[in-house]
Amino acid sequence: MVELEVGQEVEMEFGGKAKVLSVIGSGGQGTVYLVRFNGQKWALKWYDIDKMNKPKAFRKNIQTNITDGPPSNKFLWPKYLTKELPDGTFGYIMELKPDGFDSFVDILNTYKLEIDPLTGHAVKRPVKFTSLSAMVTCVINIVNAFRQLHRSGKSYQDLNDGGFFINVNTGAVLVCDCDNIAPDGSNFGIGGKPGYMAPEVVRGIAQPNVQTDKYSLAVVLFKLLFRGDPMEGEKVVRDVCLTESSELKHYGQNAVFVYDPNDSSNRPVRGIHDNVIKFWRIYPDYIKDAFIRSFTTGISEPTKRIIENEWQKLFIRLRSEIIQCGCGRTNFSSMFVQPNEKTFKCPKCGMEFVSMGFSNRSYRMPLYLGCKFYTCEVNPESDDFMTVAGELVENKLKPGVLGIKNCSDRKWKAKMPDGVFYDIAPGKGFPVWQGLEIDFGEIKAQI
Amino acid sequence: MSNENMNEQAVAENTTAASLDDFEPAETTAAPEAAADNMLDFDDDPLSATGVSRKSLVIFFLIDTSGSMKGKKMGELNTVMEELIPEIRRVGEADTEVKVAVLTFSTEVRWMYSTPIPIEDFEWARLRASGVTSMGAAFKELNQRMSRNSFLNSPSLSFAPVIFLMTDGYPSDDYKEGLKELQNNSWYKFGLKAALGIGQEANDNILAEFTGSKDTVVHAYSGGQLAQMIKIIAVTSSQIGSKSMTLSDDTSHELGEEDVFAAKQKLLGQQIQELVTSQTDENDVPFDTGW
Repeated sequence: MVELEVGQEVEMEFGGKAKVLSVIGSGGQGTVYLVRFNGQKWALKWYDIDKMNKPKAFRKNIQTNITDGPPSNKFLWPKYLTKELPDGTFGYIMELKPDGFDSFVDILNTYKLEIDPLTGHAVKRPVKFTSLSAMVTCVINIVNAFRQLHRSGKSYQDLNDGGFFINVNTGAVLVCDCDNIAPDGSNFGIGGKPGYMAPEVVRGIAQPNVQTDKYSLAVVLFKLLFRGDPMEGEKVVRDVCLTESSELKHYGQNAVFVYDPNDSSNRPVRGIHDNVIKFWRIYPDYIKDAFIRSFTTGISEPTKRIIENEWQKLFIRLRSEIIQCGCGRTNFSSMFVQPNEKTFKCPKCGMEFVSMGFSNRSYRMPLYLGCKFYTCEVNPESDDFMTVAGELVENKLKPGVLGIKNCSDRKWKAKMPDGVFYDIAPGKGFPVWQGLEIDFGEIKAQI
Repeated sequence: MSNENMNEQAVAENTTAASLDDFEPAETTAAPEAAADNMLDFDDDPLSATGVSRKSLVIFFLIDTSGSMKGKKMGELNTVMEELIPEIRRVGEADTEVKVAVLTFSTEVRWMYSTPIPIEDFEWARLRASGVTSMGAAFKELNQRMSRNSFLNSPSLSFAPVIFLMTDGYPSDDYKEGLKELQNNSWYKFGLKAALGIGQEANDNILAEFTGSKDTVVHAYSGGQLAQMIKIIAVTSSQIGSKSMTLSDDTSHELGEEDVFAAKQKLLGQQIQELVTSQTDENDVPFDTGW
């Protein structure tokens, strides 16, 4: 392995040199350095080619990826290759992680370690989503990134907790470690990370591909929401020591989901898997059902795994069912009492929330001050789940009067108490009342 | 060989501290369905989570602190160990809680701390050298502590430990007797073993007896090498220890237990050998010359 020294210069493929400033971190395939190139700071991934099966093919694949470009701006994509050293060692540079993003690992740990540069002592700093909506938005972003990647005909192959940077305030996601991404069906030696690998990869009967990505994606989503391992329960913990053969058994040959409705042999264990036990009570059935399907029939039948678009729809629904109560309690509407079909009631303070029904879906969206809906929810052609189309606000001139503001660029129509539909131009709003009906164009809604 | 076998075997042999048989699964309770009337009987905040449950990995360092280690060797060792801790910190990530236990042996056998310390909190206490090389006693002590009753008492799952032996001389006691006890310990059997011989006096054959193969024994003749080898072995073994499975090139047949048995130890041997051959620093002055 050729390690780079601080101050060393590496020649780039198309001219210029990248100067090593410091080490950022190291992984299974090599080391990441902070470098300066063309007056700008970049991250340089420098490979340990001794640990690679096919370094030449690997390099060529990165070259293809650079030429193709990223599927979207959610990827920290390889930008330029370095020249090869005489022994074949090489690397590539990519953009640095922007400020304000934390690694997925830190979110799972609930803290990050910051090293005091003087003493070398590690200090723990909490890392946590600042709102429920940011967390669900993050999940939607992850799913959407893989949907875009798979649409481009490529698979990620090594989905795991080290592959994402996340903004805990907004839910924005950056997919990193994009160097194993390859056309579906090709593999350059990466197997994946235990716990995230699809059972058929663990068993050695398949190589990573789009279908195994889908399994790993479900694991990532489960870990993010339920904060535990979907396959680690009583059956696994009883083994005490996780040897190679027990890993093959519990994650390959005989993987059992902790909440498999037909097999209770591997339920989460209190004291060890408290997160999973708690969150399984909180999430609505349609989310739990999707995970049950992923980790029961999805184990043996890769084609039955949940597709990204389906996940995306489920989580857009989940985000629209969040209720932020005035008493401070924030939860999904399934965790509120429903005195009637259209009303949700906070079990803690008793506050009631009306809800809105839409013409294109069966579930209802609870309304509370500050709740938002997004373009994809009112425009059937749109896939835009980030742009706010409407928001429930208080009228600035009439305190206490709540209404919906049109934040979109389309004209809506809303029914007023006089029974007449009035045009609602972008930037305008209308009060919420018992008989309210809204015409968004193709989609209609009513209280 | 499965872990069930490991348990049965331990029970059958009625080994003392070596067994995994004292394990009793914690009480399992399936979560009751959330109903309207019990929505508030627990902390229902979807954002308040504890860290994901992590598998624990204990790295045992067995360090010879006999008189012959005095001077440059000990100085080098202390320095590299201090520097090593931050490097291992990165290994565990979200899945593994890495802990470190250091056993020193000279005339007496002594633990640096009375229990394995999480790597995040670990601080290296500089060692001093004096006395003879009681390696056999160290093996016995390690055997006692490598038990669920003692140092390997994680409530959750554990990876098999990493055991790293460093010595510069010939044992002054009956190491074979100690090793025999250790070899009956299931944690030792499944653990990742590596050894580093320091200087001319260290006997690689004894070290290979300890690790089970020559591949996982390396030798350092100079200060520069000592630092390199310690880092290579410690980082490589803790990386392998905390992840394990790698994809086989051959996907023509399904993997069986025999394919994965001791796969980690083999991989460790391979990687150590690859790394060692790529690191040679001939200009370094050997320990044993120039006094």
